[in-house]
Amino acid sequence: MRAPPALRSVGVYLRTMLVFMLAWHLVSALVGNRILLPAPLVVAEAFWRLALAGELLEHATISIARMLLAVCLATMVALPFGVLMGLYRWAEELVDPIVELLRPISGIAWIPLALFLFGIGHALPVYIMFYAALFPILLGTIAGVRGVERRLIDASRTMGVPMTRIVGHVVLPAATPSILVSLRLGVASAWTSVIAAELVGAPSGLGYAIQWYRDMLVTPRMMSFIAMVGVSGFICDAGLRWLQRRLTPWAPMRAVLA
Amino acid sequence: MNRLARGLILPVLLLLAWEFGVGLMVEPGQAPLPSRVAAAGLGLLRSGDLPWGIAQSLGRVFSGFLVASMIAIPIGLVMGASRAVERNLDPLVESFRPIAAIAILPLAILWFGTGTPAALFIVAYAAFFPLIINTIAGVKRVDRRLVDAARTMGVGRVTILRTVIVPGALPQIGVGLRLALGVAWTAIIAAELAVGAKSGGGGSGGIGQMMFVFYAYSIELNSIVVCMLAVGLVALLLDRGLRAALSHAMPWGRA
Repeated sequence: MRAPPALRSVGVYLRTMLVFMLAWHLVSALVGNRILLPAPLVVAEAFWRLALAGELLEHATISIARMLLAVCLATMVALPFGVLMGLYRWAEELVDPIVELLRPISGIAWIPLALFLFGIGHALPVYIMFYAALFPILLGTIAGVRGVERRLIDASRTMGVPMTRIVGHVVLPAATPSILVSLRLGVASAWTSVIAAELVGAPSGLGYAIQWYRDMLVTPRMMSFIAMVGVSGFICDAGLRWLQRRLTPWAPMRAVLA
Repeated sequence: MNRLARGLILPVLLLLAWEFGVGLMVEPGQAPLPSRVAAAGLGLLRSGDLPWGIAQSLGRVFSGFLVASMIAIPIGLVMGASRAVERNLDPLVESFRPIAAIAILPLAILWFGTGTPAALFIVAYAAFFPLIINTIAGVKRVDRRLVDAARTMGVGRVTILRTVIVPGALPQIGVGLRLALGVAWTAIIAAELAVGAKSGGGGSGGIGQMMFVFYAYSIELNSIVVCMLAVGLVALLLDRGLRAALSHAMPWGRA
Protein backbone atom coordinates (compact mmCIF):
# COMPACT_ATOMS: atom_id res chain seq x y z
CA MET A 1 0.00 0.00 0.00
CA ARG A 2 1.30 3.46 -0.86
CA ALA A 3 1.15 6.33 1.59
CA PRO A 4 -1.36 9.14 0.88
CA PRO A 5 0.00 11.95 -1.37
CA ALA A 6 0.29 14.54 1.42
CA LEU A 7 2.40 12.22 3.55
CA ARG A 8 4.50 11.20 0.58
CA SER A 9 5.30 14.81 -0.30
CA VAL A 10 6.32 15.42 3.30
CA GLY A 11 8.57 12.40 2.95
CA VAL A 12 10.13 13.76 -0.25
CA TYR A 13 10.62 17.12 1.44
CA LEU A 14 12.37 15.56 4.42
CA ARG A 15 14.51 13.38 2.18
CA THR A 16 15.68 16.35 0.09
CA MET A 17 16.41 18.49 3.11
CA LEU A 18 18.27 15.60 4.74
CA VAL A 19 20.54 15.31 1.70
CA PHE A 20 21.06 19.07 1.79
CA MET A 21 21.95 18.96 5.50
CA LEU A 22 24.40 16.12 4.89
CA ALA A 23 26.11 18.07 2.13
CA TRP A 24 26.22 21.13 4.38
CA HIS A 25 27.69 19.05 7.19
CA LEU A 26 30.41 17.68 4.92
CA VAL A 27 31.32 21.13 3.58
CA SER A 28 31.45 22.58 7.09
CA ALA A 29 33.70 19.72 8.18
CA LEU A 30 35.96 20.51 5.22
CA VAL A 31 36.00 24.23 6.00
CA GLY A 32 36.59 23.50 9.65
CA ASN A 33 35.82 27.03 10.81
CA ARG A 34 32.91 27.46 13.21
CA ILE A 35 32.56 31.15 12.46
CA LEU A 36 32.57 30.85 8.68
CA LEU A 37 30.34 27.80 8.35
CA PRO A 38 29.04 26.03 11.45
CA ALA A 39 27.63 22.53 11.07
CA PRO A 40 23.84 22.23 10.60
CA LEU A 41 23.39 20.59 14.00
CA VAL A 42 25.11 23.50 15.73
CA VAL A 43 22.77 25.91 13.93
CA ALA A 44 19.77 23.75 14.82
CA GLU A 45 20.80 23.83 18.45
CA ALA A 46 21.18 27.62 18.35
CA PHE A 47 17.77 27.89 16.69
CA TRP A 48 16.23 25.74 19.41
CA ARG A 49 17.87 27.76 22.22
CA LEU A 50 16.79 31.07 20.67
CA ALA A 51 13.27 29.72 20.22
CA LEU A 52 13.12 28.61 23.85
CA ALA A 53 14.43 31.97 25.03
CA GLY A 54 11.66 33.63 23.04
CA GLU A 55 14.14 35.76 21.15
CA LEU A 56 13.20 34.42 17.72
CA LEU A 57 9.51 35.02 18.31
CA GLU A 58 10.10 38.47 19.75
CA HIS A 59 12.02 39.84 16.77
CA ALA A 60 9.81 38.05 14.23
CA THR A 61 6.70 39.50 15.88
CA ILE A 62 8.15 42.99 15.70
CA SER A 63 9.01 42.63 12.01
CA ILE A 64 5.67 41.05 11.11
CA ALA A 65 3.72 43.65 13.10
CA ARG A 66 5.53 46.42 11.24
CA MET A 67 4.84 44.67 7.97
CA LEU A 68 1.12 44.25 8.71
CA LEU A 69 0.81 47.90 9.73
CA ALA A 70 2.59 49.04 6.58
CA VAL A 71 0.53 46.79 4.30
CA CYS A 72 -2.72 47.97 5.96
CA LEU A 73 -1.72 51.59 5.41
CA ALA A 74 -0.73 50.84 1.83
CA THR A 75 -4.06 49.11 1.20
CA MET A 76 -5.97 52.03 2.70
CA VAL A 77 -4.27 54.37 0.25
CA ALA A 78 -4.17 52.04 -2.75
CA LEU A 79 -7.78 50.82 -2.67
CA PRO A 80 -9.59 54.18 -3.09
CA PHE A 81 -7.07 55.39 -5.66
CA GLY A 82 -7.15 52.08 -7.48
CA VAL A 83 -10.96 52.03 -7.66
CA LEU A 84 -11.08 55.61 -8.90
CA MET A 85 -8.32 55.03 -11.43
CA GLY A 86 -9.91 51.82 -12.63
CA LEU A 87 -13.35 53.37 -13.04
CA TYR A 88 -12.59 56.83 -14.37
CA ARG A 89 -10.24 57.68 -17.17
CA TRP A 90 -9.60 61.22 -15.89
CA ALA A 91 -8.43 59.90 -12.53
CA GLU A 92 -6.07 57.51 -14.23
CA GLU A 93 -4.69 60.20 -16.52
CA LEU A 94 -4.11 62.49 -13.52
CA VAL A 95 -2.42 60.06 -11.16
CA ASP A 96 -0.73 57.56 -13.46
CA PRO A 97 2.25 59.78 -14.40
CA ILE A 98 3.17 60.16 -10.71
CA VAL A 99 2.88 56.42 -10.20
CA GLU A 100 5.04 55.68 -13.22
CA LEU A 101 7.62 58.25 -12.08
CA LEU A 102 7.90 56.87 -8.55
CA ARG A 103 7.43 53.15 -9.16
CA PRO A 104 10.88 52.43 -10.62
CA ILE A 105 12.51 53.94 -7.50
CA SER A 106 12.66 50.92 -5.24
CA GLY A 107 11.71 51.24 -1.58
CA ILE A 108 15.28 50.42 -0.64
CA ALA A 109 16.58 53.47 -2.49
CA TRP A 110 14.47 55.57 -0.10
CA ILE A 111 16.35 54.33 2.97
CA PRO A 112 19.00 57.10 3.20
CA LEU A 113 16.48 59.90 2.72
CA ALA A 114 14.01 58.21 5.07
CA LEU A 115 16.75 57.95 7.70
CA PHE A 116 16.88 61.74 7.63
CA LEU A 117 13.12 62.15 7.72
CA PHE A 118 12.28 59.56 10.36
CA GLY A 119 15.50 58.73 12.16
CA ILE A 120 16.20 55.25 13.47
CA GLY A 121 13.11 53.55 14.86
CA HIS A 122 9.74 52.08 13.92
CA ALA A 123 8.76 54.74 11.42
CA LEU A 124 11.59 54.02 8.98
CA PRO A 125 10.87 50.33 8.24
CA VAL A 126 7.12 50.98 8.24
CA TYR A 127 7.51 53.77 5.71
CA ILE A 128 9.82 51.73 3.46
CA MET A 129 7.43 48.77 3.52
CA PHE A 130 4.42 51.01 2.93
CA TYR A 131 6.13 52.35 -0.15
CA ALA A 132 7.19 48.90 -1.35
CA ALA A 133 3.69 47.43 -0.92
CA LEU A 134 1.81 50.41 -2.33
CA PHE A 135 2.51 49.95 -6.03
CA PRO A 136 1.71 46.24 -6.44
CA ILE A 137 -1.58 46.71 -4.56
CA LEU A 138 -2.49 49.83 -6.53
CA LEU A 139 -1.77 48.23 -9.90
CA GLY A 140 -3.62 45.04 -8.92
CA THR A 141 -6.66 47.01 -7.81
CA ILE A 142 -6.73 49.01 -11.04
CA ALA A 143 -6.47 45.81 -13.10
CA GLY A 144 -9.15 44.13 -10.99
CA VAL A 145 -11.58 47.06 -11.32
CA ARG A 146 -10.94 47.24 -15.07
CA GLY A 147 -11.73 43.54 -15.31
CA VAL A 148 -15.20 43.95 -13.80
CA GLU A 149 -17.79 43.25 -16.43
CA ARG A 150 -18.95 46.60 -17.73
CA ARG A 151 -22.53 45.40 -18.21
CA LEU A 152 -22.92 44.71 -14.49
CA ILE A 153 -22.03 48.29 -13.65
CA ASP A 154 -24.22 49.66 -16.45
CA ALA A 155 -27.13 47.48 -15.37
CA SER A 156 -26.95 48.74 -11.78
CA ARG A 157 -26.72 52.31 -12.98
CA THR A 158 -29.77 51.85 -15.19
CA MET A 159 -31.65 50.75 -12.12
CA GLY A 160 -30.64 53.95 -10.37
CA VAL A 161 -28.17 52.51 -7.86
CA PRO A 162 -25.85 55.28 -6.65
CA MET A 163 -22.19 54.93 -7.59
CA THR A 164 -20.99 54.47 -4.00
CA ARG A 165 -23.21 51.41 -3.58
CA ILE A 166 -22.20 50.06 -6.97
CA VAL A 167 -18.58 50.20 -5.84
CA GLY A 168 -19.41 48.40 -2.62
CA HIS A 169 -21.73 45.75 -4.07
CA VAL A 170 -20.52 45.19 -7.62
CA VAL A 171 -17.05 46.51 -8.27
CA LEU A 172 -15.21 45.50 -5.09
CA PRO A 173 -16.57 41.94 -4.88
CA ALA A 174 -15.72 41.33 -8.53
CA ALA A 175 -12.25 42.81 -8.13
CA THR A 176 -11.44 40.92 -4.92
CA PRO A 177 -9.52 38.01 -6.51
CA SER A 178 -7.20 40.38 -8.32
CA ILE A 179 -6.79 42.54 -5.22
CA LEU A 180 -5.88 39.51 -3.12
CA VAL A 181 -3.26 38.39 -5.62
CA SER A 182 -1.78 41.88 -5.57
CA LEU A 183 -1.86 41.83 -1.77
CA ARG A 184 0.35 38.74 -1.85
CA LEU A 185 2.74 40.50 -4.22
CA GLY A 186 2.70 43.57 -1.97
CA VAL A 187 3.48 41.54 1.13
CA ALA A 188 6.32 39.75 -0.67
CA SER A 189 7.75 43.05 -1.82
CA ALA A 190 7.43 44.60 1.64
CA TRP A 191 9.03 41.58 3.26
CA THR A 192 12.06 41.88 0.99
CA SER A 193 12.63 45.47 1.97
CA VAL A 194 11.97 45.14 5.70
CA ILE A 195 15.22 43.26 6.26
CA ALA A 196 17.19 45.95 4.43
CA ALA A 197 15.47 48.70 6.39
CA GLU A 198 16.05 46.99 9.73
CA LEU A 199 19.62 46.10 8.86
CA VAL A 200 20.45 49.77 8.45
CA GLY A 201 18.01 51.70 10.58
CA ALA A 202 16.02 49.99 13.32
CA PRO A 203 16.86 49.06 16.90
CA SER A 204 14.83 45.82 16.73
CA GLY A 205 13.38 43.25 14.36
CA LEU A 206 14.79 40.32 12.39
CA GLY A 207 17.13 42.42 10.23
CA TYR A 208 18.56 44.04 13.33
CA ALA A 209 19.06 40.69 15.05
CA ILE A 210 20.89 39.27 12.02
CA GLN A 211 23.20 42.25 11.97
CA TRP A 212 23.72 42.14 15.74
CA TYR A 213 24.86 38.52 15.79
CA ARG A 214 26.96 39.06 12.69
CA ASP A 215 28.81 41.87 14.48
CA MET A 216 29.29 39.55 17.45
CA LEU A 217 30.49 36.82 15.06
CA VAL A 218 27.99 34.32 16.51
CA THR A 219 27.28 32.70 13.17
CA PRO A 220 24.91 29.91 14.36
CA ARG A 221 22.56 32.52 15.86
CA MET A 222 22.83 34.73 12.80
CA MET A 223 21.90 31.76 10.61
CA SER A 224 18.98 30.97 12.91
CA PHE A 225 17.58 34.44 12.38
CA ILE A 226 18.15 34.20 8.62
CA ALA A 227 16.13 30.97 8.69
CA MET A 228 13.49 32.77 10.73
CA VAL A 229 13.15 35.35 7.94
CA GLY A 230 12.23 32.50 5.61
CA VAL A 231 9.85 30.88 8.11
CA SER A 232 8.03 34.16 8.81
CA GLY A 233 7.78 35.02 5.13
CA PHE A 234 6.38 31.57 4.41
CA ILE A 235 3.82 31.86 7.22
CA CYS A 236 2.65 35.27 6.00
CA ASP A 237 2.16 33.98 2.48
CA ALA A 238 0.38 30.87 3.75
CA GLY A 239 -1.99 33.12 5.70
CA LEU A 240 -2.77 35.14 2.60
CA ARG A 241 -3.31 31.99 0.54
CA TRP A 242 -5.77 30.81 3.19
CA LEU A 243 -7.54 34.16 2.93
CA GLN A 244 -7.70 33.76 -0.85
CA ARG A 245 -9.34 30.36 -0.51
CA ARG A 246 -11.82 31.63 2.08
CA LEU A 247 -12.80 34.88 0.38
CA THR A 248 -12.59 33.91 -3.27
CA PRO A 249 -13.08 30.16 -3.55
CA TRP A 250 -14.27 30.60 -7.14
CA ALA A 251 -11.04 32.20 -8.34
CA PRO A 252 -8.30 29.95 -9.73
CA MET A 253 -5.29 29.83 -7.40
CA ARG A 254 -2.65 31.39 -9.55
CA ALA A 255 0.88 30.81 -8.47
CA VAL A 256 2.75 34.03 -7.79
CA LEU A 257 5.74 33.76 -10.10
CA ALA A 258 7.76 36.65 -8.76
CA MET B 1 -1.87 66.13 -26.55
CA ASN B 2 -4.82 66.55 -24.23
CA ARG B 3 -3.85 63.38 -22.40
CA LEU B 4 -0.27 64.56 -22.13
CA ALA B 5 -1.35 67.95 -20.77
CA ARG B 6 -3.60 66.35 -18.18
CA GLY B 7 -0.87 63.94 -17.23
CA LEU B 8 1.51 66.82 -16.58
CA ILE B 9 -0.85 68.75 -14.25
CA LEU B 10 -0.16 66.84 -11.05
CA PRO B 11 3.61 66.34 -11.39
CA VAL B 12 4.10 70.05 -12.19
CA LEU B 13 1.86 71.13 -9.32
CA LEU B 14 3.70 68.86 -6.91
CA LEU B 15 7.07 70.13 -8.08
CA LEU B 16 5.94 73.74 -7.61
CA ALA B 17 4.52 72.98 -4.17
CA TRP B 18 7.80 71.27 -3.26
CA GLU B 19 9.94 74.14 -4.53
CA PHE B 20 7.98 76.94 -2.88
CA GLY B 21 6.15 75.18 -0.05
CA VAL B 22 9.21 73.62 1.53
CA GLY B 23 11.20 76.81 1.06
CA LEU B 24 8.57 78.74 3.03
CA MET B 25 8.17 76.25 5.85
CA VAL B 26 11.66 75.03 6.60
CA GLU B 27 14.85 76.90 7.26
CA PRO B 28 16.43 77.42 3.85
CA GLY B 29 19.75 75.70 4.71
CA GLN B 30 19.94 72.15 3.39
CA ALA B 31 16.34 71.24 2.54
CA PRO B 32 16.21 69.54 -0.85
CA LEU B 33 14.42 71.66 -3.42
CA PRO B 34 13.87 70.77 -7.07
CA SER B 35 16.18 73.55 -8.20
CA ARG B 36 18.93 72.47 -5.81
CA VAL B 37 18.45 68.83 -6.76
CA ALA B 38 18.88 69.78 -10.40
CA ALA B 39 22.03 71.72 -9.57
CA ALA B 40 23.44 68.84 -7.53
CA GLY B 41 22.58 66.45 -10.35
CA LEU B 42 24.45 68.56 -12.87
CA GLY B 43 27.43 68.74 -10.56
CA LEU B 44 27.51 64.98 -10.05
CA LEU B 45 27.18 64.38 -13.77
CA ARG B 46 29.94 66.80 -14.61
CA SER B 47 32.37 65.42 -12.04
CA GLY B 48 31.71 61.93 -13.41
CA ASP B 49 30.88 60.52 -9.95
CA LEU B 50 27.34 59.58 -10.85
CA PRO B 51 28.07 57.86 -14.19
CA TRP B 52 30.97 55.99 -12.57
CA GLY B 53 28.81 54.84 -9.65
CA ILE B 54 26.05 53.68 -11.97
CA ALA B 55 28.58 51.88 -14.17
CA GLN B 56 30.03 50.04 -11.17
CA SER B 57 26.61 48.98 -9.92
CA LEU B 58 25.49 47.94 -13.40
CA GLY B 59 28.63 45.87 -13.88
CA ARG B 60 27.84 43.92 -10.71
CA VAL B 61 24.19 43.52 -11.65
CA PHE B 62 25.01 42.12 -15.07
CA SER B 63 27.67 39.71 -13.84
CA GLY B 64 25.49 38.44 -11.00
CA PHE B 65 22.56 38.21 -13.36
CA LEU B 66 24.64 36.21 -15.83
CA VAL B 67 25.78 33.78 -13.13
CA ALA B 68 22.18 33.32 -11.94
CA SER B 69 20.94 32.70 -15.49
CA MET B 70 23.61 30.13 -16.18
CA ILE B 71 22.62 28.19 -13.06
CA ALA B 72 18.87 28.76 -12.87
CA ILE B 73 17.81 28.26 -16.49
CA PRO B 74 19.40 24.81 -17.05
CA ILE B 75 18.18 23.53 -13.68
CA GLY B 76 14.74 25.00 -14.35
CA LEU B 77 14.57 23.30 -17.75
CA VAL B 78 15.38 19.93 -16.25
CA MET B 79 12.96 20.46 -13.36
CA GLY B 80 10.19 21.48 -15.73
CA ALA B 81 10.80 18.52 -18.02
CA SER B 82 11.16 15.80 -15.40
CA ARG B 83 8.57 15.27 -12.70
CA ALA B 84 10.98 13.25 -10.55
CA VAL B 85 13.70 15.91 -10.58
CA GLU B 86 11.15 18.60 -9.81
CA ARG B 87 9.68 16.73 -6.84
CA ASN B 88 13.11 16.23 -5.35
CA LEU B 89 14.55 19.70 -5.90
CA ASP B 90 11.41 21.74 -5.28
CA PRO B 91 11.71 21.57 -1.45
CA LEU B 92 15.12 23.26 -1.66
CA VAL B 93 13.84 26.04 -3.92
CA GLU B 94 10.74 26.61 -1.83
CA SER B 95 12.71 26.60 1.43
CA PHE B 96 15.13 29.29 0.34
CA ARG B 97 12.74 31.41 -1.73
CA PRO B 98 11.10 33.21 1.23
CA ILE B 99 14.54 34.24 2.57
CA ALA B 100 15.09 37.74 1.22
CA ALA B 101 18.44 38.29 -0.48
CA ILE B 102 19.28 41.08 1.93
CA ALA B 103 18.97 38.71 4.86
CA ILE B 104 21.84 36.70 3.38
CA LEU B 105 24.00 39.81 3.02
CA PRO B 106 25.68 39.62 6.45
CA LEU B 107 26.55 36.00 5.68
CA ALA B 108 27.90 37.00 2.27
CA ILE B 109 30.06 39.69 3.87
CA LEU B 110 31.34 37.11 6.32
CA TRP B 111 32.28 34.75 3.51
CA PHE B 112 33.47 37.12 0.81
CA GLY B 113 34.34 40.38 2.56
CA THR B 114 32.89 43.75 1.67
CA GLY B 115 34.02 43.87 -1.93
CA THR B 116 32.50 42.93 -5.24
CA PRO B 117 32.17 39.13 -4.65
CA ALA B 118 29.68 39.64 -1.79
CA ALA B 119 27.61 41.97 -3.96
CA LEU B 120 27.74 39.48 -6.83
CA PHE B 121 26.57 36.69 -4.56
CA ILE B 122 23.57 38.75 -3.37
CA VAL B 123 22.59 39.73 -6.91
CA ALA B 124 22.85 36.15 -8.14
CA TYR B 125 20.84 34.86 -5.18
CA ALA B 126 18.11 37.45 -5.72
CA ALA B 127 17.88 36.82 -9.47
CA PHE B 128 17.95 33.04 -9.11
CA PHE B 129 14.41 32.51 -7.85
CA PRO B 130 12.32 34.46 -10.40
CA LEU B 131 14.44 32.83 -13.12
CA ILE B 132 14.08 29.24 -11.98
CA ILE B 133 10.38 29.50 -11.15
CA ASN B 134 9.48 31.07 -14.47
CA THR B 135 11.64 28.60 -16.39
CA ILE B 136 9.83 25.68 -14.73
CA ALA B 137 6.45 27.28 -15.44
CA GLY B 138 7.49 27.95 -19.03
CA VAL B 139 8.50 24.35 -19.67
CA LYS B 140 5.24 23.10 -18.15
CA ARG B 141 3.26 25.43 -20.37
CA VAL B 142 4.72 23.90 -23.53
CA ASP B 143 1.99 22.13 -25.48
CA ARG B 144 2.17 18.45 -24.50
CA ARG B 145 0.97 17.42 -27.96
CA LEU B 146 3.97 19.02 -29.63
CA VAL B 147 6.31 17.00 -27.43
CA ASP B 148 4.31 13.82 -28.06
CA ALA B 149 4.26 14.46 -31.81
CA ALA B 150 8.02 14.89 -31.85
CA ARG B 151 8.48 11.69 -29.85
CA THR B 152 6.14 9.78 -32.16
CA MET B 153 8.38 10.77 -35.00
CA GLY B 154 11.32 9.30 -33.14
CA VAL B 155 13.08 12.54 -32.23
CA GLY B 156 15.66 12.13 -29.48
CA ARG B 157 15.25 13.67 -26.02
CA VAL B 158 18.02 16.23 -26.41
CA THR B 159 16.70 17.37 -29.78
CA ILE B 160 13.18 17.71 -28.34
CA LEU B 161 14.59 19.84 -25.54
CA ARG B 162 16.46 22.02 -28.01
CA THR B 163 13.84 22.40 -30.74
CA VAL B 164 10.48 22.05 -28.95
CA ILE B 165 10.72 22.73 -25.24
CA VAL B 166 13.20 25.62 -25.14
CA PRO B 167 11.51 27.71 -27.87
CA GLY B 168 8.12 27.03 -26.31
CA ALA B 169 9.30 28.03 -22.85
CA LEU B 170 11.29 31.08 -23.96
CA PRO B 171 8.52 33.69 -23.59
CA GLN B 172 7.97 32.70 -19.95
CA ILE B 173 11.73 32.60 -19.39
CA GLY B 174 11.76 36.14 -20.80
CA VAL B 175 9.27 37.16 -18.11
CA GLY B 176 11.59 35.58 -15.57
CA LEU B 177 14.56 37.50 -16.99
CA ARG B 178 12.70 40.79 -16.66
CA LEU B 179 11.58 40.10 -13.10
CA ALA B 180 15.07 38.91 -12.19
CA LEU B 181 16.77 41.97 -13.62
CA GLY B 182 14.46 44.27 -11.65
CA VAL B 183 15.06 42.30 -8.45
CA ALA B 184 18.80 42.26 -9.09
CA TRP B 185 18.95 46.03 -9.47
CA THR B 186 17.05 46.50 -6.19
CA ALA B 187 19.31 43.99 -4.47
CA ILE B 188 22.53 45.68 -5.56
CA ILE B 189 21.35 49.03 -4.19
CA ALA B 190 20.46 47.39 -0.89
CA ALA B 191 23.72 45.47 -0.77
CA GLU B 192 25.86 48.53 -1.47
CA LEU B 193 23.89 50.59 1.04
CA ALA B 194 24.22 47.99 3.77
CA VAL B 195 27.87 47.29 3.00
CA GLY B 196 28.49 51.03 3.25
CA ALA B 197 26.55 51.19 6.50
CA LYS B 198 28.30 48.26 8.12
CA SER B 199 31.85 48.64 6.91
CA GLY B 200 32.14 52.33 7.69
CA GLY B 201 32.13 53.39 4.06
CA GLY B 202 34.88 51.00 3.05
CA GLY B 203 35.49 51.47 -0.65
CA SER B 204 33.24 49.07 -2.53
CA GLY B 205 31.80 51.77 -4.75
CA GLY B 206 28.56 51.82 -6.68
CA ILE B 207 25.56 54.08 -6.49
CA GLY B 208 24.21 52.55 -3.26
CA GLN B 209 27.51 53.28 -1.57
CA MET B 210 27.40 56.84 -2.92
CA MET B 211 24.01 57.33 -1.31
CA PHE B 212 25.30 56.08 2.00
CA VAL B 213 28.29 58.40 1.88
CA PHE B 214 25.99 61.33 1.14
CA TYR B 215 23.88 60.27 4.09
CA ALA B 216 26.50 59.54 6.69
CA TYR B 217 29.56 61.64 5.84
CA SER B 218 28.93 64.64 3.69
CA ILE B 219 25.18 64.99 4.50
CA GLU B 220 23.97 66.20 1.13
CA LEU B 221 20.25 65.60 0.88
CA ASN B 222 20.08 67.00 -2.63
CA SER B 223 22.64 64.51 -3.85
CA ILE B 224 20.72 61.67 -2.19
CA VAL B 225 17.63 62.67 -4.15
CA VAL B 226 19.72 62.78 -7.32
CA CYS B 227 20.87 59.21 -6.64
CA MET B 228 17.28 58.08 -5.98
CA LEU B 229 16.17 59.52 -9.30
CA ALA B 230 19.12 57.87 -11.01
CA VAL B 231 18.18 54.51 -9.43
CA GLY B 232 14.63 54.88 -10.73
CA LEU B 233 15.76 55.95 -14.17
CA VAL B 234 18.18 53.05 -14.54
CA ALA B 235 15.49 50.59 -13.36
CA LEU B 236 13.11 51.96 -15.98
CA LEU B 237 15.70 51.84 -18.76
CA LEU B 238 16.77 48.30 -17.82
CA ASP B 239 13.19 47.07 -17.96
CA ARG B 240 12.29 48.86 -21.19
CA GLY B 241 15.54 47.80 -22.81
CA LEU B 242 15.15 44.15 -21.89
CA ARG B 243 11.51 44.19 -22.97
CA ALA B 244 12.43 45.64 -26.36
CA ALA B 245 15.26 43.15 -26.78
CA LEU B 246 13.00 40.23 -25.86
CA SER B 247 10.17 41.15 -28.19
CA HIS B 248 12.73 41.71 -30.93
CA ALA B 249 14.36 38.32 -30.29
CA MET B 250 11.09 36.36 -30.13
CA PRO B 251 8.22 38.02 -31.92
CA TRP B 252 6.01 35.04 -31.08
CA GLY B 253 6.23 35.67 -27.33
CA ARG B 254 4.13 37.96 -25.20
CA ALA B 255 6.91 39.47 -23.12
